[in-house]
Amino acid sequence: MSNQTTINLEINGQAHTLAVEPRVTLLDALRDHLELTGTKKGCDQGQCGACTVHVDGERVLSCLTLAVQVEGRAVTTIEGLSDPGAELHPVQSAFLEHDAFQCGYCTPGQIMSAVSCIREGHAGSDDEIREYMSGNLCRCGAYPHIVEAVREAAKVMS
Amino acid sequence: MRDFSYLRAGSVDEALSAAAMPATMLLAGGTTLLDLAKCGVNAPERVVDVTHLKGLDTIRVDAEGAFIGALAKMSRVAADPAILAGFPAVSEALWQAASAQIRNMATIGGNLLQRTRCAYFRDPASFPACNKRVPGSGCSAMEGVNRGHAVLGTSDACIATYPGDLAAALVAFDAVVHLGERKVPIDDFFLLPGTTPHKEHAMQPGEMITTITIPASAAARHSTYLKVRDRQSYEFAAASAAVGIEFEADHETIRDIRIGLGGVATKPWRARAVEDALRGKVVEPETVKSASRLAVEGAVAHGGNHYKIELAPRVVERAILKSGALA
Amino acid sequence: MTIVDTKMKRGDASDGLLGGRLARIDGPAKITGAADYAMEHSPEGMVYAVIVDSTIASGRVVAIDTSAAEAYPGVLVVLTPDNALPIKTATDWTGAPPPAVPYEPLAREITFAGQHIAAVIAETFEQATAAAALVKVTYEETAPISSFDDPRSGEGYPIDMMTKEWGDADAALAIAPVRIEQEYKTPREYNVPIEPHGLIAHWEGDMLTLWEPSQWIDGMSRTYAEWFSIPFENVRMLSPYIGGGFGSKALPTRYGAVAAIAAKMLDRPVKLAITRPQTFTAFGGRPATRQTIALGATREGKLLSIVHRSANETSMDDVAIEPLGSVTSIMYAVPNFSSRQNIVPVNTVKPGALRAPGENPSAFGIECAIDELAYEVGIDPLDIRLLNYAEEDPHAKKPWSTRRLREAYAAGAEAFGWAKRSPSVRSMREGKQLIGYGVAAGTYPVRRTPGEAMVRILSNGTIEVASSGIDMGQGTYTILAQTAAEAIGVPVETVVVKLGDSSLPRAPVAGGSQLANLMTGAVHVAALAARDELIGLAINDPNSPFRDLQANTLTIEGGQMSSPRDAGSSVAIAEVMRRTGRNSIEALRNTLPENLRNKDDHFRNFTTISTMLSPTEGDYSMHSWCVHFVEVRVDVDFGTVRVSRMVSALDSGRLYNPKLAESQWKGGIIMGIGQALLEEGLVDQRNGHVMNNNLGDYLVPTNADIPHLEVISVGIPDTNASILGGKAVGELAIVGVAPAIANAVYHATGIRVRDLPITLEKLI
Repeated sequence: MSNQTTINLEINGQAHTLAVEPRVTLLDALRDHLELTGTKKGCDQGQCGACTVHVDGERVLSCLTLAVQVEGRAVTTIEGLSDPGAELHPVQSAFLEHDAFQCGYCTPGQIMSAVSCIREGHAGSDDEIREYMSGNLCRCGAYPHIVEAVREAAKVMS
Repeated sequence: MRDFSYLRAGSVDEALSAAAMPATMLLAGGTTLLDLAKCGVNAPERVVDVTHLKGLDTIRVDAEGAFIGALAKMSRVAADPAILAGFPAVSEALWQAASAQIRNMATIGGNLLQRTRCAYFRDPASFPACNKRVPGSGCSAMEGVNRGHAVLGTSDACIATYPGDLAAALVAFDAVVHLGERKVPIDDFFLLPGTTPHKEHAMQPGEMITTITIPASAAARHSTYLKVRDRQSYEFAAASAAVGIEFEADHETIRDIRIGLGGVATKPWRARAVEDALRGKVVEPETVKSASRLAVEGAVAHGGNHYKIELAPRVVERAILKSGALA
Repeated sequence: MTIVDTKMKRGDASDGLLGGRLARIDGPAKITGAADYAMEHSPEGMVYAVIVDSTIASGRVVAIDTSAAEAYPGVLVVLTPDNALPIKTATDWTGAPPPAVPYEPLAREITFAGQHIAAVIAETFEQATAAAALVKVTYEETAPISSFDDPRSGEGYPIDMMTKEWGDADAALAIAPVRIEQEYKTPREYNVPIEPHGLIAHWEGDMLTLWEPSQWIDGMSRTYAEWFSIPFENVRMLSPYIGGGFGSKALPTRYGAVAAIAAKMLDRPVKLAITRPQTFTAFGGRPATRQTIALGATREGKLLSIVHRSANETSMDDVAIEPLGSVTSIMYAVPNFSSRQNIVPVNTVKPGALRAPGENPSAFGIECAIDELAYEVGIDPLDIRLLNYAEEDPHAKKPWSTRRLREAYAAGAEAFGWAKRSPSVRSMREGKQLIGYGVAAGTYPVRRTPGEAMVRILSNGTIEVASSGIDMGQGTYTILAQTAAEAIGVPVETVVVKLGDSSLPRAPVAGGSQLANLMTGAVHVAALAARDELIGLAINDPNSPFRDLQANTLTIEGGQMSSPRDAGSSVAIAEVMRRTGRNSIEALRNTLPENLRNKDDHFRNFTTISTMLSPTEGDYSMHSWCVHFVEVRVDVDFGTVRVSRMVSALDSGRLYNPKLAESQWKGGIIMGIGQALLEEGLVDQRNGHVMNNNLGDYLVPTNADIPHLEVISVGIPDTNASILGGKAVGELAIVGVAPAIANAVYHATGIRVRDLPITLEKLI
């Protein structure tokens, strides 16, 4: 594998060094190289939102981001949202309480997106939450409960 | 995806000289480049990352107009208070496009250069014939599944829709695309397919979009963007319209009106016939309705997209009435 | 092995009992990213496979040039029909013995676009993907028949087992005072769970381990064992969490065979995840359907006759039946009835099961037709349903076990405000929005297969429940913990549940909405047995703290044992276990009837569907029921339809956990909204390609498409239907949604759309 390049990534506050080809996406780097499988691959073409992570605090799709592109930027995944054993993030708690998921596969992406939705100030009404959470598809149909969870978490976070 | 080498450009000059090399593509938000690389439409040998260039993401609005750096993210432009005040249609076109995540990634320059969603274009393995990909190879969409395809600006070679929302607003307000020193009016920047659908814009190898400017106008200040689609969100337009109106002092006679269409044409479409028919007229439902029909003069349907000829004027009409109420 | 425990305390203690609203116990793993879905394992030395599909829909592969792919860096092998390890054909899911011919998962003869013809295995995912694009295939192409809309597809052939007839339907129709006849169509629809399909296959000698999302671990394991001629016990399948299935992850697939073949040939673990576009052709979704329904009625709207003719698409080489008369034949009391069904072979992948196969499109037909009749005779669409209410199963002529549909109509109408509906079409409006109200009913049968479960009481007082049954979001982990906690008398926090592993006790398919009922039943039986043994031990063991009480029995409550005679005697279960020196008490129980308990029948019960009982087996006809009340707003100019309000009342019998059941119901309703307004496989008639094979173009609802949904449970425990009184939940709620929306759109606009989805061009 001639074209590998060594990159340094900061993920969930930890430094990681890995050797990957430039074409490796951030999503595949997380899942296949760093065993951070909480970030999900749903479509691999920017159409479902399951791979949502934060880069420099903003929600983006890791399937359309090259790993090498985020060198020097801070990446947060679902695993870094709350410390293991510590208290859950308010959005996580609200998702549990409101049963805002079923199969759970879109859930990490929904939660990362919901955290941003609230931080961006887009949780002002149910309709606004719906619109700003529409980049995350859920086939189990948890949408009404996701809206409830985001609404409640926004109260806690404000 | 084919393997490529990755270079991080340290300066615009470095980016431009790299971009002049064959089989090289500039990488900004990545939402088009990587998507199409996965489809097999793009196969660059070199990818030049421009996202770390400094100073290209400025958003500034003054009396002259808006000055938007090519690397400004869609989400930042959409939320910018000065853009919202001076160019509401631009903000609305942006926040109704794609998803919040994609808007945090995609840049304004990259947004203009997004490519058609034509399913035949996007699947080279199954459909070798595509005049946009391989000039002269034919068009699979013409008699295929073409519900989303264009009815305006089409040719015998291509009916692929230009999918973007932002450009529909920009074309309405005479935005200018800056390719470094070279400035191209946006209506000239985008090309009709004609016999060369592979040529989508006026950019030459070794050029890159550096800035987009939008002249200030009363019409832009009183503008709106209306997007109609099957799904409420996260979908390209079936038909959309950016409309801005400036009234005479009587508050009812149209002095200036600008109309851009999205989702129905092969390039961002300026509906000049509708504008001409309404300039000097009073905004009144029947006048607006009949003028709006002119939006699809010369439109050609190919089966599945016939409804767009009916839909587009209705979208224009509604947007004019909404904009008129705002002005 | 995945163990989900309930250490995290949430809600009231009563939530832990059966029927309580306990938050799902697998929730903490899912919201932190810790839940390990099958394909997220990474065994040492794992390599990646990518499938190459046919780009033609009909013809023959003449040559495959693999040279460029083989030369690509990292490529280990390119599999084609010529070099793939031969395997045997397996027993199908009904238990039919296989023909003695080899099974070729990579095809030479092409019958649909997207058929697997080669696979590239490489060291990395990126290499395999890039090399797969370099495989050059030469075809000899023949003209495909792309859909049953192609006249060359003909009428297909009849499926006699689908014929249901009583009275003289044609004669009664001919003389009926009111007759209406229309055709209703549904397009190809796709499951699209957000977790795409795939697997990791790993051989160690003749032991095959599969990490694969599966709705039916035992059924799929049997197939793998037969393909490779190894004992069933040599297959270990792990599917701890499943990222949605909706019917699409229950049966083994061709790519599964390819991955296992590749792993054996290379002696390396192979991961094969199909791409999102491949999820539209690697297995089938719901087939396209069409139904012609003729209703004969009195001028008052009383049904006299139903004549129903229907067809669904199938593949060129196999039989797929979407039972289109399933609701038609039981929803209304009608003295004369005839339903017949054809299937029409076309060049498609064999259609599969998608949420409520049969009932869903069937309800679209009859529930639109009855609405049309209501307008025809000029009565309220709700009243016509009550007028023709079936007091018993009109087909089986048996009483319903429970049918709370009348109660559902009443509760739903009240909560929705149906009485405020203006009767005529296009009569309700706000600005540019036409408002319409619509109603439609739905039903889904109670399917019954015996279950099995192990319940262990461990020395520390922990209760362990184990089954190879699965949880894809229905809440299996949670309700089984509640079942065991209640049966034994312990706090739910002390129960751990192990699922999704073929090394655990057997379970039948998680399909047909049967798993919750049969698994709670099996766990209940096993837990009571374990409890009885514990009590026996406490009474009889010389070292038991209860030895001196001379009690006949003991009670267990909150994890404490006590004698009814001496309330102050309570001792924790763990203490009893310690004093008696027992490590564990184990009860493995099944709910098989006595005549099916031998080894072969036991195996057959869990690895085929041959023992599944029909809903009318026995004295009763058993079904879940629901009704949906919908308000739509249709833009008068644009034709865009938005569901603005919805109330559904549902009878699923007893709910083991209402919080989770409501989620499943809402999920079904949302999928129904997608079906009504958005979802449609767009097939290029020239070449048989599904052109919108991705989530940007095959539109499923987004959050913004869904309003607040109200669901009302009107069910009562039905112990004829299941041991603990539940009926079908998961598949029920989608049934009737699409016709309710179509009926509301008609009320809003006066336009009757009889072919789904109701897209804007049909309304402008």
